[in-house]
Amino acid sequence: MNMQCEQFEQLLEQQDEGALPKPALAHLETCEACRALSADFSAIHDMALELGNEEVAPPERVWISLRNQLEAERLILDPQAAPRNASHASSGWWSVFQRPAVAGAFLGLVLAAASTVGYMSNFAQTSVHSQLAIQQETSAVPAADSIFKEEVLTVGSDSIPGLQRQDTAVTASIRRNLQIVDNFIAICEKSVREQPDNQMAREYLYGAYQQKAELLATAMNRSMPGGLQ
Amino acid sequence: MNAISSPVRFGALGAVMAGFILAASPAHADRIEKHFPVQSKPKIMVRNSSGRIQVKAWTKNEVLVAWTNATGKSVVETEAAGNRVEVSTLANEDGITADDSKTDFEITVPVESELSVRTDSGNVTVDSVHGDMTFDTVGANLQLSDVDGYMVVKTIDGSLLCTRCSGKLEANSISGNVQMIAPTLDSVRVQTSSGNILFDGSFLSRGIYIMKNFSGTIEVHFSSSDSFDVNANSLKGDVINQATFKPDTHGTPHPASKWGHGFVGTMNEGHAKVELSSFSGTIKILKRD
Repeated sequence: MNMQCEQFEQLLEQQDEGALPKPALAHLETCEACRALSADFSAIHDMALELGNEEVAPPERVWISLRNQLEAERLILDPQAAPRNASHASSGWWSVFQRPAVAGAFLGLVLAAASTVGYMSNFAQTSVHSQLAIQQETSAVPAADSIFKEEVLTVGSDSIPGLQRQDTAVTASIRRNLQIVDNFIAICEKSVREQPDNQMAREYLYGAYQQKAELLATAMNRSMPGGLQ
Repeated sequence: MNAISSPVRFGALGAVMAGFILAASPAHADRIEKHFPVQSKPKIMVRNSSGRIQVKAWTKNEVLVAWTNATGKSVVETEAAGNRVEVSTLANEDGITADDSKTDFEITVPVESELSVRTDSGNVTVDSVHGDMTFDTVGANLQLSDVDGYMVVKTIDGSLLCTRCSGKLEANSISGNVQMIAPTLDSVRVQTSSGNILFDGSFLSRGIYIMKNFSGTIEVHFSSSDSFDVNANSLKGDVINQATFKPDTHGTPHPASKWGHGFVGTMNEGHAKVELSSFSGTIKILKRD
């Protein structure tokens, strides 16, 4: 029996480490959407493993994967006009993030990364420890979340027609609290690196990621036209 | 005419000028009121960006919404359908600042009412309302007094002061403080990252009290007659305890976490459940005077 996309997604969600079963691989060969989904999961998993480095930017492939998915969903209508290089993403991504669906997709990725941290806690601790200890090469690509933060928090600029000016006190508050949460994430990551079998530290790290995602969602929500409605 | 002294003339002149100023001031600075007849237990939804929101209760089956907007650069829209009353502040023109849109509300509702309040900045006070309530704020401080219901609070750095609150409370903040004074709450789930948490009241039988933060202080006050199980743990901070707990005598004994500082114990019969958790903050379990 041929595997359907829905079955593949369920399998992907339940799949631990290791290769996919043959029916899933066969489905992947014929289904472009599931290939993209699978690539996203891999990228998110890789991102989570790179938590060992503070201020580590997501690898280029995450951007490419995200972009591919957005293009596949026709959420980016003019891929040629948008810069391929994520280092120029600051301007290009803004137009994307003005669309709630896409911004939601980004937050979904952040939450997925947070979920992955929780999921990772079920791994053999020694394995996780060794993986977290691997020094990842840093990238010149700006961190996805920093771009997102800046874009969300610059809403209200007069250069963006149609959007209401954001309360500077609100923007300052969100910035300040993002900094707080970022600091917590860094501290938690350090604790997890030092004590990989410390479940409590993992839970706090997971919680900090959730808070960050919620904070960015709040910032975005407050920034959108009619955000208070 | 010359008999009129200079101070009197200046006073009269001043009064006339004040009259002109008052007359010239924009009409939109006036207080506007709207009345909405409702049945029992109406739902009131308030959306505001900046400004004070005061909600109080009365015995009438009517919702009174009164507001003032000093600049007139925002408008207040109201909608009433049956038992639902919605109040929203909208920008009247593009590019207005938060100060321009600042609108203060005074809302009077039946005692039994549901509330949903969303605002960015400005204080929110609710007094003597009984019903479920949700609050979503960025920096607005929230004061609840003598309220009863299921209260859900989400704020970024606003503080919450809950005085004589009853029912259930869920509060989530990043840098705001949460204080519960003389509560009769049987369910408390409070989380803040860098804020402090204070619980000064009784732990009700069958109540569940979960308080968690990252770096602030968690302080709970108990009396010797309180009956609760406690699990307190701070991964990097200290736990200061003035209570004498005995080992858990009911259910499966759970050892204290091997990480950080903390303990597990029971006071009296252990009717309530108290979980206190911090990453690097201090947990204080103090005897009430």
